[in-house]
Amino acid sequence: MLVNQFLLLGAVLFCIGVYGVLARRNGVLVLMSIELILNAVNINLVALGSVQGPEAAVAGQVFALFVVTIAAAEVGVGLAIVLLIYRNRSTVDLDEVDLMKG
Amino acid sequence: MAEFLRAYLTVAVFAGAAGLLVALLSTLGWAVRPSRPSRQKSIAYESGVDPAGTDFGQSQVRYYIFALLFVLFDVEAVYIFPWALRLEGYGVFGLVEMGVFIVILALGLVYAWRKGVLRWV
Amino acid sequence: MPPVFDTPAIDYHAFAPEIAMVVTLVVLLFVDLVFEERGRWATATVAGIGLLASVVPVLSLAVDGADRSLFGGAYVVDNFALVLKALFLVAGYVTVLISTDYIADGDYYEGEYYFMLVSSLLGMTVMASARDLISIFVALEMLSIPAYLLAGWRKRDLRGNEASLKYYLLGVFASAVMLYGMSLVFGVSGSTLLVDINQAISRGVDSVPLVTVGIVFIVVGFAFKVSAVPFHTWAPDTYQGAPTPITAFLSVASKAAGFAALVQIVFIGFLGREDVWAPMFWVLAALTMTVGNLIALRQTNLVRLLAYSSVAQAGFMLAPFAVAADIPADRGGVGAATGAVVTYLLIYAGMNLGAFAVVMAVARKTRSAEISAYGGLFAYAPGLAVLMGVFVFSLAGIPPLAGWYAKFVVFKTLLDAGTVAAVTLAVVAVVNSVIALFYYASVARQMIMEPAPEAETARVRVPGSLGAALGICAVATLAFGAFPGLIAQLGDLALLGVLP
Repeated sequence: MLVNQFLLLGAVLFCIGVYGVLARRNGVLVLMSIELILNAVNINLVALGSVQGPEAAVAGQVFALFVVTIAAAEVGVGLAIVLLIYRNRSTVDLDEVDLMKG
Repeated sequence: MAEFLRAYLTVAVFAGAAGLLVALLSTLGWAVRPSRPSRQKSIAYESGVDPAGTDFGQSQVRYYIFALLFVLFDVEAVYIFPWALRLEGYGVFGLVEMGVFIVILALGLVYAWRKGVLRWV
Repeated sequence: MPPVFDTPAIDYHAFAPEIAMVVTLVVLLFVDLVFEERGRWATATVAGIGLLASVVPVLSLAVDGADRSLFGGAYVVDNFALVLKALFLVAGYVTVLISTDYIADGDYYEGEYYFMLVSSLLGMTVMASARDLISIFVALEMLSIPAYLLAGWRKRDLRGNEASLKYYLLGVFASAVMLYGMSLVFGVSGSTLLVDINQAISRGVDSVPLVTVGIVFIVVGFAFKVSAVPFHTWAPDTYQGAPTPITAFLSVASKAAGFAALVQIVFIGFLGREDVWAPMFWVLAALTMTVGNLIALRQTNLVRLLAYSSVAQAGFMLAPFAVAADIPADRGGVGAATGAVVTYLLIYAGMNLGAFAVVMAVARKTRSAEISAYGGLFAYAPGLAVLMGVFVFSLAGIPPLAGWYAKFVVFKTLLDAGTVAAVTLAVVAVVNSVIALFYYASVARQMIMEPAPEAETARVRVPGSLGAALGICAVATLAFGAFPGLIAQLGDLALLGVLP
């Protein structure tokens, strides 16, 4: 089986996600970029697992399930935080959240 | 590599055939059908209800909590499906373990209910 | 026909600390839901008792002494895990003690606060035993997600919001990058068990680039968690904006959990590929010490000063990683590096929690964490001032306080390794210890030499629970310093049960 295509797709998704996290200024879009990275991880896990034999295939798929569920919990918390900031300052622009400088 | 490219040639032939078919059929339809445009026909289809407002409607922020609860409980179900497929094999052990999991999940729902977030104000 | 399922034999004794914590969580939830406002005062008590009850099975497992391995080696209870579990639980208990009055006085959600705190601790205790990529990932998220919320517990405070958002975004990004590394390492080895991964990658025949990229990404992900320079930018802002008890908790327990994971992944999983990680850790350690100290020199807010000092302290804990593979076997090998990291963590926990407890006690009167507010503290509150002096000089590494032994152990591993890189790192560490003395001493100078601002010299009232926390930290700092044999035994004990 050709695993390179899947790895390539994963790498491209990963790069798009990292670019989004670094370049986007809207809180919600940053969350979406992080989801892209996690999906790249899932593609890698399932594709690489399936070339390593049946046991690794199961392990990879189980790992992917955990990533999916935990990503849901993460995004739930993230949206709550973004919403809290929107309530307090009516913006989700990350550049404006800078009371304290590093 | 040639083997690999040949496999993709099939895909290309399929895609070409599909595109050709679509173009042919829609040209045929355009040629034979009568054309009588009216305002009524061009409004968006909303299951028979007249659409109100613009296309960029904002939903209430209250909806967010329901959506979030739905997503969380929906996603947790992903653990239950593979378990259910092999329930008989797991026997009593599997039943008890999944019972613990579901009880803890249900506690979360009880919490949401007691805190009043399930009520639509 | 699917394979026959064998019911796994589950060793409930090995799991008992975690089960006790889950029970505590359920009780906390019920107290909050059933009694609502009337039960608010009880939640801190329930959380404290629950954490102490969870220590009991840790002790009974330690007395029993046998290494236990569950779920095909994915979850191991050995001395390393037990020492760290005890550290997490005691640090959690001290956090509950210093939170009690802070949370009850302010307008905060109380039941949820302790619920989140205990679930974060649950993630940490799982992390101490996790020897498998999946369990490490689940434990990491279980300890991080409640911590993101706790950092923003002051809901209406804009700084609190900012603390939470920065911590969340960088934390989630770091764990996503780390996961990508994990997926590559898993792809090469075909197993999520650290022991199997070690066998696959130390054979080192195929897919070398994939493994290298995977290791780099995983180490970078954890570098965010332990706030190593240059991945530390979230730490000072989060520490300043979060409620002070949570700042103490994050800088001690959360950092210790990150190091626990690093020890297990690097020393079990990646041993044999030190050509990749040793130089990374060398650069991280040197940068973290130096940058943390230099920025700490310029701080005027004590919480931010402690934040940067904790960044710098993380640099000392990273140093043993850089030289672990070079330590000769007759000097303890990788085990010596593990012991040094764990010893440093144990001592650091006591003195750093103590320093934050004093900050909280003083802030009850002055309502400020600026260093200038500490003027004249020695005159009107000599007890607190002496305690603060003990904790900051211990952080600086002055004998006979515990901090000197922590630094001594790290220097010993560096010199035992004896390579040029290790000795250079030791020199960097010595220079940094001297720089650090400047800002730690300036706190003491402010307390003794400067007059109180606005001649405000009323007594500082310290509530009982805060006093208990101060007592625990002071006893730990003094006892470990005066009798380093105690902690040395714990550090020696803390060897990984399953080394490849």
